[in-house]
Amino acid sequence: MSTFVVQTSHLTKRYGDHIAVKDLSLNVEKGEVFGFLGHNGAGKTTTIHMLTTLLKPTSGTALVCGKSITTDSLEARRHIGYVPENVRLYDTMSARSNLRFFAKLSGVEDADRRIDETLEFLDCRDLAPRLVGSFSKGLRQRIGLAQAILHRPDVLFLDEPTSGLDPMGIKTLRDLIVRLNREFRTTIFMNTHLISEISRTCTSIGVLNQGELVFRDTIEKVTARYGSESSLEELYLSVTPVQTQGAA
Amino acid sequence: MVTAHSTSRIGLLTGHSLAALMRERTVALLGLLFLILVIVSAYLGWSATSTVNAIYLRSAEYMSAQGQTLPPNPVLDTSPLALLRNMATYVSLIGALAAIVIGHQLMSAERKAGTMPLLGSRPMRPADLGIAKSLALIVAIAALVIFAALINTATFLALPEFRLDAIGWLKLAAFYGASGLYLLVFGFLGLWFGASAKSETVGLLIPVTIWLTLTFVLPQITSNINPVAALNPVSALAEPPASAFFQITGWALGSLSLAEAYRIISAQLLDFLPANYIDRAAIPAAVSLFVAALGFAGLAARAIGRMDMTKGDYDA
Repeated sequence: MSTFVVQTSHLTKRYGDHIAVKDLSLNVEKGEVFGFLGHNGAGKTTTIHMLTTLLKPTSGTALVCGKSITTDSLEARRHIGYVPENVRLYDTMSARSNLRFFAKLSGVEDADRRIDETLEFLDCRDLAPRLVGSFSKGLRQRIGLAQAILHRPDVLFLDEPTSGLDPMGIKTLRDLIVRLNREFRTTIFMNTHLISEISRTCTSIGVLNQGELVFRDTIEKVTARYGSESSLEELYLSVTPVQTQGAA
Repeated sequence: MVTAHSTSRIGLLTGHSLAALMRERTVALLGLLFLILVIVSAYLGWSATSTVNAIYLRSAEYMSAQGQTLPPNPVLDTSPLALLRNMATYVSLIGALAAIVIGHQLMSAERKAGTMPLLGSRPMRPADLGIAKSLALIVAIAALVIFAALINTATFLALPEFRLDAIGWLKLAAFYGASGLYLLVFGFLGLWFGASAKSETVGLLIPVTIWLTLTFVLPQITSNINPVAALNPVSALAEPPASAFFQITGWALGSLSLAEAYRIISAQLLDFLPANYIDRAAIPAAVSLFVAALGFAGLAARAIGRMDMTKGDYDA
């Protein structure tokens, strides 16, 4: 049986003449923390939207835990957890009410016990009775992460999870992602444009440039080949030439 | 196929939508206003009828003293149900507006909350959200109509001079059924544009414009009812001029004139339809309302099913 949690084959998304994602063929193995790197507008979010079944691809196929995102999207969604870049929840409800609603929607039995366990894991049990509308971005992101893992998904999609967070918030979230991967064996598929994020959290990376996958390898091999974080940055800039020229 | 899991998710979404709706002040205020007007309608009907009755009794006393023959009491010639005739106007004005706001809020509140991507990545069928929102709309409108019906039932029970027989009670129930159907037409209209409009304001303005057209413009074209007359339940049912123009527009557009269709049904059920009134529309009034409610429900379901689930908000 395949150990790939995410498998895409020639996955393409067009908006009129613009190709957001072009011919993407990519496999992510179970237990990986996969960092999807690319400039703004490279097609990372569009890829996540397709893999979380929110967006239909123009062509190509993709399987999440062996389920097609187009023909078996309902089953695929049972294995997915998703945290958007800007987590939005019901502001007039408490964190617990929000989580209870999403837990039940995901078919979690004994939702309250699971919420307690999840908040304990995320070290934010005290947030449960508070209104989400009063939360800072960091706390909101944490409850956003909680709603995504309540049903213990096989794969968690994170879209720029540390965007807009302060250094402490970034560190906390990064530690949580690593713990989540270690303790629950959850595969992580994370969009980012931060090199530091990749080197400290991920086990493998892919680089997307103008909708095309231009690089894919494990962090172990990349580090062995290129060495330090600054070299990783050089690698990134070398495989995304168009943006570099534009910026120069 | 609707599974047990799917049913429980629809129930959960419906309950959640209703709870969110009850937190909306605009909806609560419009609903309250509608219910107050129901009480006012019953009071106005009772007051007008009591005044006529009191005048008749005094006149009868005077005429008896003079040895004159008494004419019949006009109150006894009028059905007790007609004392609710103002209800038809209130339902088609404030009731329809409340229904539009309810339908619109059911979708716009969700869009403003920005939770569509979280809902869309849950194991639900694409149709589940549409079914849940439609059910929430039906429950909210049914609650309004049932409250109104209870108020009117209490009014009839409290006024022994206006006794209803079994047929009367059935007609009253049918009137509330027709009112619920009429409100659903506008509720689904609001739901449709709440889901499909690019901005919240446009999503509310378009249904309100359609409501204005149906309530004030179309009746003028099909039956020569000017907007002021449309506010009067009795004059709104005056026979249109017998010119060829109104014969043609009445036949061709009468079926689209839903406010008029509702007034005709209400007048028939509450016993205030002028005896010589002829409905010229090509399709019977009840069928028009039913088709419109079904049509708008279909359009709302289609719009919800085609929503961009990647967007967290109207302009995100």
